[in-house]
Amino acid sequence: MEKQTPDNLPRRRFLREGLWTGALAALGAACAVLLAKGRRQKYVWQIDPLKCIGCGNCATHCVLNESAVKCVHAYAMCGYCDLCTGYFIPEPKELTTAAENQLCPTGAIIRTFVEDPYFEYTIDEPLCVGCGKCVVGCNAFGNGSLFLQVRHDRCVNCNECAIAVACPSQAFKRVPIETPYIMKDA
Amino acid sequence: MKKRIGKIQSGVLTGLVLAVAIGAGVAAFLLFDTSGTKSTLPPEYKYEIEQYAKIDPALIIYEQVGDPIETDFDTACAITLDDAGNMVIAGDSKLVKYDLAGKPLNEIELPKEPTCIEFDLDGNLIVGMSNVIMILDPQGNTVQEWSAPTAVSLQTSIAADKDHVFAADALNKLVWCYDREGNVVNKLGAKDPDRNIPGIVIPSAYFDIATYPDGLLRVVNPGRHWIEAYTTDGDREWYWGRAGVDIEGFSGCCNPVALAVLPDGGFVTAEKGLVRVKVYDADGEFVGVVAGPDQLGWIEPLRVCKTPEECKAKGFDVAVDKAGRIYVLDTLRNVVRIFERNKSAAARAAR
Repeated sequence: MEKQTPDNLPRRRFLREGLWTGALAALGAACAVLLAKGRRQKYVWQIDPLKCIGCGNCATHCVLNESAVKCVHAYAMCGYCDLCTGYFIPEPKELTTAAENQLCPTGAIIRTFVEDPYFEYTIDEPLCVGCGKCVVGCNAFGNGSLFLQVRHDRCVNCNECAIAVACPSQAFKRVPIETPYIMKDA
Repeated sequence: MKKRIGKIQSGVLTGLVLAVAIGAGVAAFLLFDTSGTKSTLPPEYKYEIEQYAKIDPALIIYEQVGDPIETDFDTACAITLDDAGNMVIAGDSKLVKYDLAGKPLNEIELPKEPTCIEFDLDGNLIVGMSNVIMILDPQGNTVQEWSAPTAVSLQTSIAADKDHVFAADALNKLVWCYDREGNVVNKLGAKDPDRNIPGIVIPSAYFDIATYPDGLLRVVNPGRHWIEAYTTDGDREWYWGRAGVDIEGFSGCCNPVALAVLPDGGFVTAEKGLVRVKVYDADGEFVGVVAGPDQLGWIEPLRVCKTPEECKAKGFDVAVDKAGRIYVLDTLRNVVRIFERNKSAAARAAR
C-alpha cells in the first residue's frame, strides 16, 4: 500500500479535511465575534456627576444631532428654592417664569409652585440640549441636585464616545449595563 | 585627519534633528490645550459669573495676618475662640484647642462627630452633635448632656446667654431654646402666620445663630437671605438682608452660611458658592469685604465640586476675637485664615 504523506494526500480527502478545518475556523471566529460583541454590550458610557464640570461639550460633541446627554434632577437633594440658581440667571429682575429671568437658553426647566416658599423644578427632556448651564448654577450655589447623564434610550453606545474624547475632566466612563446611571444622592 | 570644510558631520546632524524635535515637542506642549476640546457653544449656553467673583479692591477692608494655619482635621466643621484668644476647632470626632500660632494645646475626644461649638459666659464649651448637646467644663469634663426633643434633628449652630442655650435645628427648621438643664423653654422661628413669622427656609444644612448684646438672638434665615432678631419668647422683631449676587447682597439660593458678631456690634457673614466673607454694621448696612474668592484661595469659585467631600463641605465658619480680628475656617481645606482691619481702611473709618 502506498504510504500517505502530506505531499501525496488524495485530492478528495484533502478537500474534505480542508473544508472541515475552514468551517471550524469560521465557526470559532463567529463565536469569538459574538462573544466580543456581547462583552462590549455589557458596558455603556456614563458621566460621573462628581467629575463633571458642565463645560458644554456634551451638547456639541455627541454624534447624534440632538445629544444623548440630558440634565436629570435628584429631587431628594433639591432645596426646592424660590431663588433656584439652576433656574434663574445670576441677577433676575424678578423671581418669575419670564424668559428674561431664566438661565436655561432653551427653557427646558419647568418651575412649579408647591407651597410658600417652595418650588419644584422638572426637566423638559425634549428641550434639553445637555449644555450643563443649569448644572453649573446649581452646583456652584445650590445643592447640586441638577446633573448631566447619558440617556440610554438615545445613546448609540459608540465604541469611542466622541464626547468622552472631548471631555476635559475625564468624567465619562464605562459602567455595567445593569447599572447604567450614576445617580447623586443626598 | 584633516576635516573637509562644507561637509556636516553625522553627529552634528543628529544633534540638530534632536534639538528641532525637542523644540517642537515643547512648543506643542505649551501652545496646544491638552486638557480636552474646548466648547464651541455660543455665549448664551455658558454660565458667566466671573465678573461677580472679582471684588473691587477698595471694598476689601481687611487683610490676612500671617499664613493660613493648618489643622490636622480630616473634616473640620466649626470654630470658636476662648477668652484667651485660643481657637477651638470641632470636627471628625474631637475638639482641638490651638494657640494663635496654630500649635495644638489639647484635644478632647467626643462620642460622635460634632456639628457646632460655642463658649458660654462661664467659659464652658457647648458642643452640638446632630441631636445631642453636651456642656463641657474648661477641663473637658461633661457638665450637662441632653438630646433634642425630636427623634430626628440636625443641630448646626449653638449659642448661649446667661440663662439659655439655643440650638439651631436645620432639619426641623427652628431654634430650640433650652434652659441650662436642657428643658425646652421655647421654639423660635417656626412658621406662625398669627405672629407674623414666615418660617425658616433651609435648602442646605447651613443654619447659623448668634447671641447679641441687646439680648435678642440673631437667626440666619438662609433660604430667604435674612438675618432675623428674635426674643427668647419667640417674637420676631425685625430682619435685614437681601438676596443678590452683587457685593451687598447674599448670593445663591441660601446664604449666609455663617454669622459672627464684632465687638462694635457689627456682623461678619460668610457665603458659600461665591465664597465671600463680609462685614455689615449693627443695622445691616454693608461695610466692606473681609475676603473674596481670591483672598480665600478659591481661584475657581464656580467650578463643579471635584470630590464628594468638596460637594458636601462648601461653607466656611467664622469667629471673632475681642480685638475684632476675624477667623475664617475653611471647612474643605481644614485651614484657618486670620484677618484684621487693614490700616488704611481703619484710618479712613476713623476720619
